[in-house]
Amino acid sequence: MSPAVAANRTFESVAETVRQLFDGVQVLQQKAEFLQPAELDGQEWFELLRQKLLPQLGNDPWMVAAVVGGTNIGKSVTFNHLAQCQASATSPLASGTKHPVCLVPEGFEDRHDLQQIFPDFRLHRWSEAGRALEESDDHELYWRTAPELPSTLLVLDTPDIDSDARVNWVRADAVRRCADVLIAVLTQQKYNDAAVKEFFRKAAAEDKAVLVVFNQCLLPDDEQYWPVWLKTFCDETGLSPDAVYLAPADRRAAEDLKLPFYERPWPVGEDWGADDVGEFATPRDLSADLSNLRFQEIRIRTLRGSLESLLDADRGLPRHLQQLSASSREVAVTSERLSSEAVLKIRDWPTPPNAVFVDEIRAWWKNRQEGWARRINRFYDTVGTGVTWPLKMARNAIQGEPVPPLDKYRDAEWSAVLTTVEELFDKLQWMADTGNHLIKPKIEHILAASTRTRLIELLRREHAKVDFQEELRTIVASEMQNFSADSPEMFRFYKQLNNVTAAVRPMTSIVLFSLGMGPAGETVAPIVANTAANMVVHVVTDVAGGTAAAVAGDAALSNAAGTSAGMLQAWFHRLHSVFTQRRVDWLTGLIREHLLGELSDEIHAAAAIQQSSEFDAVTSCMQRLREQLAEIPHADEVNPVPPDIRDAAESPLPENRPGSDADGSSFGKVDA
Amino acid sequence: MTAEEDLRQLALLAEVDDLTESLRAWVEGEACWETGRRCRALIRRLLSRMDTLRFRLESPLVVATFGGTGTGKSSLVNALVGQEVTSVGRQRPTTTTPVLLCHPDMPLDSVGIDTEHLDVRPIEAPILRDIVVLDCPDPDTSDAATAGSNLAILRSVLPQCDVLIYTSTQQKYRNARIIDELADAAGGCRIVFVQTHAEMDSDIRDDWKKYLSSQYEVPEMFFVDSVRALQEQQDNYRPSGEFGRLLDMLGRELQASRRVEIRRANLVELLQEALHDCQQKYQSKQPAIDALLQTLEQQRSELKAALSQQLCDDLLVNRSLWESRLLSSVTDKWGFSPFSAVLRFYNGLGAFIASFTFFRARTSAQMALIGAVQGARWIRSRNEEQEAESSLERLSTFGIQDRQLQESRLVISGHLREAGLDTSDQQDRQDLSDLRRRAASVEDEFLGDARRVIDSAIEELAVAHTGWITKARYEILFLLYVVFLIGRVGYNFFWSSFLGPVVSNVPEEDLLAVDFYIPALIFFVIWSALLVTVYMMRLRRGLLRRVRQFADRFAESTLSHGLFPDVENACRRVERDQQTLASLAERTDEFKRRMNDDSSSRLGGRRPQTAGKKENAPEA
Repeated sequence: MSPAVAANRTFESVAETVRQLFDGVQVLQQKAEFLQPAELDGQEWFELLRQKLLPQLGNDPWMVAAVVGGTNIGKSVTFNHLAQCQASATSPLASGTKHPVCLVPEGFEDRHDLQQIFPDFRLHRWSEAGRALEESDDHELYWRTAPELPSTLLVLDTPDIDSDARVNWVRADAVRRCADVLIAVLTQQKYNDAAVKEFFRKAAAEDKAVLVVFNQCLLPDDEQYWPVWLKTFCDETGLSPDAVYLAPADRRAAEDLKLPFYERPWPVGEDWGADDVGEFATPRDLSADLSNLRFQEIRIRTLRGSLESLLDADRGLPRHLQQLSASSREVAVTSERLSSEAVLKIRDWPTPPNAVFVDEIRAWWKNRQEGWARRINRFYDTVGTGVTWPLKMARNAIQGEPVPPLDKYRDAEWSAVLTTVEELFDKLQWMADTGNHLIKPKIEHILAASTRTRLIELLRREHAKVDFQEELRTIVASEMQNFSADSPEMFRFYKQLNNVTAAVRPMTSIVLFSLGMGPAGETVAPIVANTAANMVVHVVTDVAGGTAAAVAGDAALSNAAGTSAGMLQAWFHRLHSVFTQRRVDWLTGLIREHLLGELSDEIHAAAAIQQSSEFDAVTSCMQRLREQLAEIPHADEVNPVPPDIRDAAESPLPENRPGSDADGSSFGKVDA
Repeated sequence: MTAEEDLRQLALLAEVDDLTESLRAWVEGEACWETGRRCRALIRRLLSRMDTLRFRLESPLVVATFGGTGTGKSSLVNALVGQEVTSVGRQRPTTTTPVLLCHPDMPLDSVGIDTEHLDVRPIEAPILRDIVVLDCPDPDTSDAATAGSNLAILRSVLPQCDVLIYTSTQQKYRNARIIDELADAAGGCRIVFVQTHAEMDSDIRDDWKKYLSSQYEVPEMFFVDSVRALQEQQDNYRPSGEFGRLLDMLGRELQASRRVEIRRANLVELLQEALHDCQQKYQSKQPAIDALLQTLEQQRSELKAALSQQLCDDLLVNRSLWESRLLSSVTDKWGFSPFSAVLRFYNGLGAFIASFTFFRARTSAQMALIGAVQGARWIRSRNEEQEAESSLERLSTFGIQDRQLQESRLVISGHLREAGLDTSDQQDRQDLSDLRRRAASVEDEFLGDARRVIDSAIEELAVAHTGWITKARYEILFLLYVVFLIGRVGYNFFWSSFLGPVVSNVPEEDLLAVDFYIPALIFFVIWSALLVTVYMMRLRRGLLRRVRQFADRFAESTLSHGLFPDVENACRRVERDQQTLASLAERTDEFKRRMNDDSSSRLGGRRPQTAGKKENAPEA
């Protein structure tokens, strides 16, 4: 099998991988949104993927040649010489051509979807030369058929690459990527301009075939200078031109499409001068030279070049992935640090007075009594109420109506909620000030005054809705249920219920962010150690993890429960801490839902992006592509004849002549 | 230089001095917010640069060439001095070291620029009598301003130049890099626009001018052929055509007498740009400040509404206190009379009973009713109590509750952060006592107002209910019983028990005994109580309406400060700061305008960049 056919086979499998890669990369980009990866659009490798590899890896090859260069140096003039008509309007004013003009061989548009070849442009059929000079925000492309063109060659005129109309650069870059052959128009004023060099450096990285045209030369004076210019240009950009032409500064000839293009050998010795011109004195037909390029070879070469650029460790996809991983690691480190520090310790979360619990327990008890016990109880209750009524009235008269204890608790809790929220904001502020640049803006947003107002309003509303009596009832019921399993203690417990005096203040920790191990492991351990000593119940609530609350007071409880009084106390500790836990869970739930939102999940996902399947898919695609790239034969293997671009002995259309790598056919145009 | 010109220059200098002085005063002033500090730092840097410029005010102007590689900067310089002094080449770039051309008689120190990295060449040329010419490297062959690159060299020398000769060609006049670089370099410079290569290129000056004029003042453009001009001079002709015009213009505009004017224009332009920049920064922060002010205002009115509401409610609840104050005021007005004595007695009795409540006065309304002396004492004890209060029992009896304080603080600190304001209010979060103190002072102020209103209301009511008709009516009614009683007792005592039997043999009656006096006393009590009650009912009438009126009046009154006086002050300071800045900018603009008006300069320069117009260079 000939290398050309082998190359085409390989291209077909590459095309599949490239498609997968293209999709995978976009999915990954979306997934990694939190990490704010560099925009895909505008990244050289991605644009190559989209503008060159995706459309051109089919098995029906063609070749794109584009005239490129700085503003006002005669690109359009050169293009018109290629087209042999005024296909593109010329103007003495700079930045004239705003949109590319494309010459398409006859019948090409029937065989191919032009839109697919130029995905970024809006296509228009060419009507007059002036259209490409009109300004518009959209990327337009004007195309016309040129019957004299070889059937697989597209020729484009492009906007400039250095004017202040930067949208022109974007268009020129898009054309450059999809091109195989660049006709680089240079002048003595511009060959060393930074913008020009930057453009051609990218072309060199993609291994484009380049024909250099030095326009506006003062011949024969400049005959001694052009080798210096070209050498500087090649050294600076890394290009090695496939052919070099000089065009004289002759405005009249340029306008009449009679500009002579003199070919020059390259490389030449340092002592090249006007005397050496000799056999190169006759001008050449640029379009004929272009038609006689060895398409197959150039195509393989530029596709290879583009793939290599795509896979380049410093500029390509690997670099992008590396950056993603780096910022992911950074986020992971920051979030780990945040996890370890982001614990709010709330010391004075209020607890409802014991009397409320006691009342609730009594009510619970009453409901479960039966028969005479119940009746007796009711009798005593009635009597009790009757006896204490005057006393109560007197007290109310003197001290005023007492505030119901739960209302008091509601107020106290609201105060605690506010304190917690305030501390939370302090913590977040600290995080924003010290945190990672990716996390910071998210937190900054949370810290905005409007967010604060909204949160307070929301909490106030929600807080007003809470039915504390119901909360108490639920807790007491569930705790009593547990407790009644231990019935011998029950009676004693009930007897001592009135003696309850222990005021317990559970200490509550709220964990804002957690990573890996989860909060309980780290934050609870030291607290438990403390608990035994201090007899303070700790509640740990994890905002990030939702309701993953852990009560760390059990050790303390069992220690104290030796005596019955101690047990009672311990039991009330427990009741309090369960209640507090419920309340804090309620608060953290709201905070999580309305303030932090998906932030912690996002941080998690961002920190673990390298382990994600999306990331794997892209890396494996990349690996496959690398292997496939290694299988593509090099261009000189396809045609072992020493490269001479005007060698007409090659098949430009592999589908016409499979298996042939040295054939005399050419494209309808013969060397002039 | 004539004395008149001398004087004119001194006047110019004085004006610039005056402007810089006010700027300096502004810069030295304290900024209480981040943006203010940043802007001041910027202006401060600029002022220090102005000082060095001022030292050089009288030294020859530094004229530098600026333009892309191959646009003929060196050719132009050669043509200007009429000799081949800097190398002209077809290779790009040709010039890498800036070449300084000056007259051999000119002491370089007087130029005041750093010549260390320059290639200094003394040249005898007529144009160099007044100026020095600096041939600069290009800005467009270097990829980045790395050390030693043409771009870096160019950037190091350009700030020392007064006038730029910006050369361009048909190929390069819209080169993005050069345009960007010019935008950076043009601040504080006069510019001369020159299109070169007239021998080859078409004249694109109209397009170029159209394109530049949005950002630059372009009074004139030249289209020159430097090579021919040099040749003509070497052949001892005066350069003809456009180049001759350029030479004339430079000779006229850059002569010694124009130096001060040009430098002053440059200086003011720099200032102008910096000030506009600062204004933009200020403006970008304005929404945050506005939001903060709005929130403060809102909180203040909420606070006032809460206090008024609370006061109103309390006033309605504590009617007995009201009445007792009103009564004592009425008795004062009444003067001494039997009925007023009764009223006084009832009031005293009522006050005695109510004193339990008095000493436990807890609410704002009670406070206001008790009056100033007790109020002050109460506040003191209240504050002590507050300090001692444990953090758990936060339930405040103040109109302003802790949670309100906390909510406000939470929101305000968010605003502060957005606005970049710094105030001393940003204190320890755990500590509410400071805020409480401020709340107390707010409440104190509010109560002071309320007290005055209540006092006057009571006064008014008292006056209204102590008219002589009312007085007479009640006195007569009261006295009727008293007169009857005295008459009855007197008749019994003097006549029926003593004089009657003696004088006219009326049967002697016994003196009235206890069983008379007890009912008499009871009826006295009943009668006086009845009268007092009727009077009190009269007083009470319209009380409710009056209390409502109070609420309205309180709501209309304004609190002189809210809970965050520091923040309010900071906002006011920011506002003042902004006004100062605006007036400074306005003054600079005005100065610049005046300067433009009375100058006949044909030199170009950058237009002042006003907000919003900064980035967009128009296309074609």
